[in-house]
Amino acid sequence: MKSKLLALLGGVLFSGTAMAGGYQVNLASQRQIGMGHTGTGIETGTSSIFFNPGAMSFIRENGVTIGASALFSKIAYSPLESNTVTQADNDMGTPFQAYGAYKVNDKLAVGLGVYTPFGSGVTWGDQWTGRFGLEDISLRAIFVQPTVSYKISDKIGVGVGLTVATGSVNLKRVLPVQNQDGTEGGIELDGGAKTGFGFNAGVFFQPTEKLSIGVNYRSKVELEVEEGDVMFSNIPAAARGNFPEGTQFGATLPLPATLSVGIGYKVNEQLTLAADVSHVGWSEYESLRFDFTQPVGGSNVSESARNYDDAFIYRIGGEYQVNDKLALRAGAYLDQTPVQDGYLTPETPDADSRGLSAGIGYSISDNFSIDASFLYINKKERTDTAEFSRGVPGTFKSVAYIPGIGLNFKF
Amino acid sequence: MKNIFYKSSLLALTAGVLLTSCEPEIDTPNPTAGSEANFSKYIAVGNSLTAGFQDNGLYREGQLSSYPAILADQFREVGGGNFVQPLFPENQRNGSGYLRLVGFTPTGSPITETVTTERAIRSASPVLFTKFTDPVQNLGVPGIKVAEIKVQGYGSAQGNPYFERITPDNQAGQTYLQRVQQSTDHTFFSLWLGNNDVLSYATSGGASSATSNAITPVNLFDANYSELVNALTANGQEGILATIPDVTGIPFFTTVGPSVKKTLTDNNIPGMVAITGAGKDRIQVATAQINAPQNGVLFTLTGASYAPLLGQPTGKYWRDLARQVSPSQDPLIVRGTLAQLLLNYSVDTTKMFGFSGENPWPSALLLDVNEQNSVKAATTSFNNIIKAQAQAKGLALWDANAYFTSIQSGFGRNGVAYSPAFITGNLFSLDGVHLTPRGYAIVANEMIGAINAKYSASVPKADETQYRAVLLP
Repeated sequence: MKSKLLALLGGVLFSGTAMAGGYQVNLASQRQIGMGHTGTGIETGTSSIFFNPGAMSFIRENGVTIGASALFSKIAYSPLESNTVTQADNDMGTPFQAYGAYKVNDKLAVGLGVYTPFGSGVTWGDQWTGRFGLEDISLRAIFVQPTVSYKISDKIGVGVGLTVATGSVNLKRVLPVQNQDGTEGGIELDGGAKTGFGFNAGVFFQPTEKLSIGVNYRSKVELEVEEGDVMFSNIPAAARGNFPEGTQFGATLPLPATLSVGIGYKVNEQLTLAADVSHVGWSEYESLRFDFTQPVGGSNVSESARNYDDAFIYRIGGEYQVNDKLALRAGAYLDQTPVQDGYLTPETPDADSRGLSAGIGYSISDNFSIDASFLYINKKERTDTAEFSRGVPGTFKSVAYIPGIGLNFKF
Repeated sequence: MKNIFYKSSLLALTAGVLLTSCEPEIDTPNPTAGSEANFSKYIAVGNSLTAGFQDNGLYREGQLSSYPAILADQFREVGGGNFVQPLFPENQRNGSGYLRLVGFTPTGSPITETVTTERAIRSASPVLFTKFTDPVQNLGVPGIKVAEIKVQGYGSAQGNPYFERITPDNQAGQTYLQRVQQSTDHTFFSLWLGNNDVLSYATSGGASSATSNAITPVNLFDANYSELVNALTANGQEGILATIPDVTGIPFFTTVGPSVKKTLTDNNIPGMVAITGAGKDRIQVATAQINAPQNGVLFTLTGASYAPLLGQPTGKYWRDLARQVSPSQDPLIVRGTLAQLLLNYSVDTTKMFGFSGENPWPSALLLDVNEQNSVKAATTSFNNIIKAQAQAKGLALWDANAYFTSIQSGFGRNGVAYSPAFITGNLFSLDGVHLTPRGYAIVANEMIGAINAKYSASVPKADETQYRAVLLP
């Protein structure tokens, strides 16, 4: 399943640095990114497959949408009581989305979505203060979601999709063992996830021409790695017994459930406003645990506490239809961090974040349009002692610049 | 259509490239010396810890990562100037020679060897090192005690070779105190001295009757220490004093005991016999007493090679000692020395080593309850004197004793586990007494914390992870 998907996607596009709370990546539609990533309480076209399957049955035409973002994230770090600042040198992330929706009849619509709602990519390098905590992490998750939506009445639609998830994790750390020449050892964990399952269900209610309301629940999916490879490098001969070759690891990462409630209001023919509140069940993430097939550093288990808290996200957005062809969008959101004090880690140096977005839509013809979006994310500067997470104490500050483009075909 | 697609992609790409240059910023605290302290000329006074001694030797790498060198680097951020250390030259970088880890025995005991190349030894007997007679700011002298700072000729060929090394030939009669008094233009100092006033007694297992291994009398410590502080503060200088850690918490005393205890327990042996003190008195040591927190006994790291011989009819310890103390290496004379030793201590090497009263565990390899009590009492008295001096002179104080006591069960930082465990604890070097460069960096940062608190300064801390721990083969 995984390899087929990867081949399909050319292996180039991937979810990038987590720039929502935790390792969630909220970049599911170029139009909606422009509107502060609202979309639960409005019909968003094909991307309702993600935002609210209940609204998919309200689409007027069949359509296919593909889009991707270029995620440039920057993280600065300064150790406690120090005046030095290091930057993580993160690769550009490319979260993407593809949706196809087909109206079977007036009431029934079916669709398929492929998107990347979770991921993380941080590269600190092997020189920084926290290298024994993390050198580099790449967490990737892809969801494929066949979906069906049914319009119960002119005012109410319901929908549900099966989410089929796969992904991979690669994590590198420098090990605090040194050769006679001072070279430090390294450990790399690399594994593909088993296919995980979940669902995405929604109800969409349009009481009046102007007002619409939606509720959406995306369930938890477990990303489970079995028999991942553990690779060691530069281990001094005297310590090799502690880091046995051929070790494999298992780990499970919860991709938490998200419950969203949204509202949409058409002020007039030109202006649509939307607002969403999401609750993300981050408390599922209690610890990061690796089970090894042979003792590594004297133990078959490496576990560090995470104890995430559930978090809320508040979003507002609007779209202004300037004329038949051109639409302008803007939005903003506040995203609470799930990471409690004392639990900050260099793989997700998370903090409450503020997002500001703008977007543009342009219809080139009746059945082809382009959406471009730009999102700026600014996380609050956060100082943490990391005493519970075995993380890296210090001050972290992250920003991200995320331009994106999407293409829509209607037929 | 293609055109629009192209244009918007280009736009997105350009925006991306432009915006990547907008870096997140962190407002780090501005380094400042505060209004009370002046770090422009710093001098360090102390013993081996101050010199950067590690792995049972003083060598260039250790000197470069001495805590005073690390402090001086950080002081440079707040107006500190140059800091001269008596570095061994690059081509004699191994200085006195030092221990290197070459492997582990099948049971996990470390095997070390002494590095003897590229040393800076200019005379083998007495041992003397390549001189460094330029003015230095790191006055750390391995081995020095508070009791010895007024010894005439301490810098002569018959004195301390590390002090001799930095003493100009025409001042060979100079005392250490006089050398310190010569420094009048320093603006800040650190003083971490007194460890050897208890340590040499402890590391010799309380077995030596030599004055040099006795615990310093408290009144002598008090008088000498205050003269030293007076010299350092003669012109109103600020500085930091450090207390003496509890020597019984260092790997030198905590490493061998557990393996002895395990051997005895595994074989249902309730205890052993040892010599106590400098005479030949025997004591019984119960197995349960070994490394026990109350009423316990501690084995020295020097006992590591004899512990596997427990229960055997062996005189290895005494043969080794005879070779060491014999006035000549002539086999006949060594044999005579050995016979005298065995007679003096009433030892019969045909009996079971450590289990028989006639072949007891040597006193030098054991710190028994009474000896530990003597060490603890002296440490407390000395530390009270140090704290009183800091208080009286308004100086910063780093309570090294409290710090090392607080980390006995270990701590984690930046993904590394630290503890006072030998080799694996990352803090102590291969001699089990002195620190690794990483350990010295942690000490420097702890001192910076005390300095910042006392003088309302903001001296930035060093990146400890840039300094190494124990190197493995």
